[in-house]
Amino acid sequence: MTITAPDIEPARTDSEDGPLGAPPPRRRRGWDRFTPYALIIPAVVLLLTLLAYPVYRMITVSLQKYEQPQLWGTRPPEWIGLSNYTKLFKDPTFWSAVEHMVMFTAVSVLLSVLLGLSVALLMRRVSNWARYTMTVAMMLVWAMPQLVSTQVFAWMVDADFGVVNWLIDQIPGVDFSKHSWFADPIQGWGVITAVVLWQGLPFLAITLYAGLSQVPQELIEAATVDGASAWQVFRAVTLPILRPLIGIVTTLSVIWNFQLFTQVWVLRYAKPEAEYQTLTTYAWQQAFNNGKYGYGSVVAIVTVLLMLGVMAFYIRQMFKIGDQD
Amino acid sequence: MVTIDLRRRSDTVTPSVSQPAGRRRTRRVGTSVANTVAVVFAVVMAFPAYWMINTAFKPPNEVLTFTPHFWPEHPTLQNFLSAVKAPLFLIDLRNSLVITISAVLAALVVGFLGALAVARFRFYGRKALILVVLTVQMVPFIALLIPLFLMMNAVELTNTLPGVIAVYAVLILPYTVWTLRGFIANVPRELDEAALIDGCSRWQTFTRVILPLTGPGLVATSIYGFIQAWNEFIIVNTLNNAPEKQNLMTWLINNQTQRQTFWGPLMAGAIITSVPVVIFFMAIQKNIAAGLTAGAVKG
Repeated sequence: MTITAPDIEPARTDSEDGPLGAPPPRRRRGWDRFTPYALIIPAVVLLLTLLAYPVYRMITVSLQKYEQPQLWGTRPPEWIGLSNYTKLFKDPTFWSAVEHMVMFTAVSVLLSVLLGLSVALLMRRVSNWARYTMTVAMMLVWAMPQLVSTQVFAWMVDADFGVVNWLIDQIPGVDFSKHSWFADPIQGWGVITAVVLWQGLPFLAITLYAGLSQVPQELIEAATVDGASAWQVFRAVTLPILRPLIGIVTTLSVIWNFQLFTQVWVLRYAKPEAEYQTLTTYAWQQAFNNGKYGYGSVVAIVTVLLMLGVMAFYIRQMFKIGDQD
Repeated sequence: MVTIDLRRRSDTVTPSVSQPAGRRRTRRVGTSVANTVAVVFAVVMAFPAYWMINTAFKPPNEVLTFTPHFWPEHPTLQNFLSAVKAPLFLIDLRNSLVITISAVLAALVVGFLGALAVARFRFYGRKALILVVLTVQMVPFIALLIPLFLMMNAVELTNTLPGVIAVYAVLILPYTVWTLRGFIANVPRELDEAALIDGCSRWQTFTRVILPLTGPGLVATSIYGFIQAWNEFIIVNTLNNAPEKQNLMTWLINNQTQRQTFWGPLMAGAIITSVPVVIFFMAIQKNIAAGLTAGAVKG
């Protein structure tokens, strides 16, 4: 795995165009230097119109009063400076959404990575048939559309006829019939976290398992021969080699989980209550349920800003690979 | 930190192949314990999929029971029939296919050209392009939904399929460029040069060398794009609120209501919706497992 391989590209002092790494072709045609630009035009046009322009538009709209009348053009957008932003910082629902997301991301990522690592280690330890069974089950989970598997969970935790309540009810002395999981936010977020964990585990476990197989067997043998215990081998040999990969999957999990939308959307039947509001659902509701496009944009912008540090770290890691070949 | 006792090195110069009998026995017991844990884990992971299938094949009176039935006593295809016959299901199925296939084809053509430029040429702005491609994969697309909706509304492309197709194409474009770049970079540059020396034009090098050799990569990339576009529901749900312009995922969402949900037909619809994705996923699972950490994004 070439995840943190250093940038080994030699410094190029000659012309910036022409085929990479190749000696300059003898019969160089004049238009050769324009070829790359011609090739990227369609991609650049698409990215500019449907990505760069929306970003610009989002920023301008966030500085405007932009609601239903402005959408239908009956009234021009009104520039209101930063007042959407100042309003946001006094908005208790926004702050509770930030709180939910920070708590949820911290807990879910920590649990995901720990569980993923444990499952990966378990996969190293078990017999072949057991490993095969685990892989098939995880692939099935991974392949299922997120929306579909979340709907299945919504059905499983149904208060009246859900199988989860029935299963817990079987424990002697526990009455869980008609238990409503979302009445108490702690339990509700527990269900959401469980769904996210279940959906994310295959990626984490299988990636980390692949990483574990990269650890040179000789190193482990040498340490064992020298009398290191299994835990010591893990701490001193496996973990340091695995660390870059753990860094990448942790970063990805933070980025994904902080954007939480689908699971809450489905489990709360498309109308998340204040206790279950995430930053993305709040932005969506402000814009599309309340018609406050300017204010919704502010929520979205602040959400992206909050993620920027983590994203920059990930992009730097990936850039090293992209630049290499 | 672990400090390994150096003194023991001398008496274990030759690795002890034969371990003490006691140790071997604990290892065997350990393996069977580990296998048991593995089976329990697999059962827990697979349970929701099993429950979906179980529910879909039950007649209505077996779905809503206080004591759940763990297998359908009178298995029936009734739920599948009522899902397919439900209003909009077939229209949404057709929309899903049209949107997904068009978006994947568009992204594939545009992305391949871009990937060719990034992998084979060094040009001013190459690094910037790579940076944009990587950044875009991280940006929550939900954040861009508000301006996209305003734009589509201004050009009257809300509640149309082309509007959604364009957005989906951009959604899968970065991944496409990034992955195809890798596939093209793996075609040895010497082959291009040999073809050029043998008198091929740049275009011929492209059609006769690079394109055939990246064929498997194109298939894998388009399948991944298919999965992403097929599974998406937030964008289509926002841009197109007319039910006859939505896709299968929104059909599922619209049929799950707090007042009354018909779980049997819903789970049957969910199975129909999942089948193409699950099959495609299994076909490219090796690429996905390896490719995700090399720069892709979960769908």
